[in-house]
Amino acid sequence: MRTSRGVFAARVAAQRQLCAEHYRLTLSVPGFPASRPGQFIQLLCRPPYASSAPRELTWGPDSPPQLSDPELIDRQTMLRRPISLAGRRDSGDASEIDLIYRVVGTATRWLTGAEPGAELSVLGPLGNGFAPRGAGEAVLIGGGVGIPPLLYLAETLADGGTNVTAIFGARSEGLMPLRVDGAAVPREPAPSPCIADLPPQARAVLTTDDGTLGVAGTASDALLEWLRRREGGAAGLTAYCCGPEPLMRAVADICIERNLPCQLALERYMACGMGTCQSCVVKVRDTNAENGWAYKLCCTDGPVFEAADLLW
Amino acid sequence: MAARAMQPGPPEEMTIERNDVTTDLSVDIAGVRLANPLMPASGTCGYADEYADFVDLERLGAFVTKSITRQPRAGNDYQRVVETRAGMLNAIGLANVGLEAFLTEKVPLLRRLGVPVFVNVAGTTVEDYVAVAEALEDVDVVRGVELNISCPNVRAGGIQFGTDPEQIRRITGALRSVCRRNILIVKLSPNVTDVTCTAAAAVDAGADALSMINTFTAMAIDVERRRPVLANGTGGLSGPAIRPIAVRMVHEVYEHVARQAGVPIIAMGGIQHARDAVEFLLAGATGLAVGTALFVDPGVLTHLQDGLADYMRRHGFTAVEQVVGAVPVMR
Ligand SMILES: Cc1cc2nc3c(=O)[nH]c(=O)nc-3n(C[C@H](O)[C@H](O)[C@H](O)COP(=O)(O)OP(=O)(O)OC[C@H]3O[C@@H](n4cnc5c(N)ncnc54)[C@H](O)[C@@H]3O)c2cc1C
Ligand SMILES: Cc1cc2nc3c(=O)[nH]c(=O)nc-3n(C[C@H](O)[C@H](O)[C@H](O)COP(=O)(O)O)c2cc1C
Ligand code: FES
Repeated sequence: MRTSRGVFAARVAAQRQLCAEHYRLTLSVPGFPASRPGQFIQLLCRPPYASSAPRELTWGPDSPPQLSDPELIDRQTMLRRPISLAGRRDSGDASEIDLIYRVVGTATRWLTGAEPGAELSVLGPLGNGFAPRGAGEAVLIGGGVGIPPLLYLAETLADGGTNVTAIFGARSEGLMPLRVDGAAVPREPAPSPCIADLPPQARAVLTTDDGTLGVAGTASDALLEWLRRREGGAAGLTAYCCGPEPLMRAVADICIERNLPCQLALERYMACGMGTCQSCVVKVRDTNAENGWAYKLCCTDGPVFEAADLLW
Repeated sequence: MAARAMQPGPPEEMTIERNDVTTDLSVDIAGVRLANPLMPASGTCGYADEYADFVDLERLGAFVTKSITRQPRAGNDYQRVVETRAGMLNAIGLANVGLEAFLTEKVPLLRRLGVPVFVNVAGTTVEDYVAVAEALEDVDVVRGVELNISCPNVRAGGIQFGTDPEQIRRITGALRSVCRRNILIVKLSPNVTDVTCTAAAAVDAGADALSMINTFTAMAIDVERRRPVLANGTGGLSGPAIRPIAVRMVHEVYEHVARQAGVPIIAMGGIQHARDAVEFLLAGATGLAVGTALFVDPGVLTHLQDGLADYMRRHGFTAVEQVVGAVPVMR
């Protein structure tokens, strides 16, 4: 019955700090099923059950149960955390997946201490992922911690012969979760090969809110300007976007206005990630429904949605 | 309590043999034989379809569905969940496909599971509950109706029924006359001063079994934005944080109501490890349901089975019934 997704024991292969708030974590996950860009995993950001289970064996007639269950003494998260796949490599049975995460709270802070060799529990791959539209030309718009899934997408698109332009934004230079060739970063929306994490053919524009790197302003401003300068405007393009909701809404508006097909990877608070708890709802247009809309689940129907379908 | 005939069907006994001792994990819930006491808690496993990738569903003792209402419900606005210390709040608002879609789309799948199915039923009027329970009488794979009169996240019905003994008597009585083939399980709310009063009302009115507990009404406030975190304002607290209270409530109901009446308790509330499951059995439960922990480890029910069997072997128990209520009476 087990097919395309499951729970896997992963080992930390490498971890590296990328900038003030972002880390890149590479996990070795033997037998990880086929995945695609836009999909995510639910990562247990504490020691896995298996390693805490022996506690149960210590109580017998002479050692009564203690009120020292991990959840009562440690500041640990209980639920898993959704993190996008930022890349993967396979050789034979061995699979490595890349994650890029931003430290925002308890779980992500705990992750920073995961040493190479440590065991982590991975549930996935989850969600629908992006649906690349064949060859042609793609523009990838990412903001902050929305950039990671687009790196995986850029790789897949480039492999399929698609021309990739990336427009990536962050608040400030020190918060850009990328390996950047500072000298080559254009100061206007004219893409160049300035990011080591993208395939060599891909070109990129970087933006920062405070203007400390690349173009000053937001990624959606840069998208507008780039489209204005582009021969043929939005013709022949497909847009893929992930980032903070205000950025995604702005990009969706720009694309809808120009009839530019646009896929967005959304974020929601998730308890399960598997479609069972109904917590991660997204409002989408539904002509069959009386009121014209229906709730879809971000974790299984998404996280990738067509911009034109979204009522947010 | 209405008398009922034993249901036909295979009592797939799950036995594990080691050191010449046989550990029998099977239990009897008001005439329905379960291969082991473990089942998912309503609302945390959908209708089984989403779970098939992660779990050997045929190893479950029983399957319990998400609440079904007469009409489909979209549920509450986003944001619906938030994690708290050792627990979580949810205010899903009984989002579900409705009776009709359940019967046509979900039942065929449940039929393939090969384990008894308990369908959790919710509503806003007694007539709603009765209509759904009536329809379930004709569904062979369904063996029991779990009456959800304890949902804290809907404006009408739900917990309103579940905190007033008079209302519990009324609705349980109405369902009693409808549930002829299915066993009637009444799911109790913890949001009461004395849970033995509500438990007694359900048992008096004919409940075959009790399940307890639903979530605690609770609230989280976003202090930066100065507003409730959940769109619904309040939500229900579940997970390890509620376990000690749930254990106390199960023990109270077992001692003061259920044991004398011969009514089995299906216990839930923060079960995560095998020792938690054993704790509830000792408190007086016969069945065990797991909710929140399934989100973290979808395979937890089978791990708990193994842990329970291991505990029983270490302590010389050969049947689950021997563990049930095996602690001194609380005075
Ligand atoms: C499909 C999906 C893919 C994701 N991919 C990535 C990724 O690749 N890299 C990455 O760093 N993060 C990603 N996230 C967000 C990540 O899940 C959260 O940052 C993480 O759960 C925070 O956990 P924490 O315990 O550290 O923070 P908490 O203590 O739980 O929260 C700290 C702060 O983060 C905010 N926050 C927490 N969870 C979420 C969430 N799910 N959505 C929006 N805001 C949240 C809270 O409002 C709070 O202010 C993704 C989320 C989703 C739904
Ligand atoms: C996300 C979520 C949804 C739930 N939905 C339902 C429901 O539809 N009907 C119901 O009777 N109980 C529902 N519950 C309550 C659980 O069945 C269970 O009583 C409670 O969560 C305590 O068990 P736990 O601590 O193991 O989660 C829900 C709980 C959660 C966390
Ligand atoms: S996170 Fe549980 S249904 Fe989406």
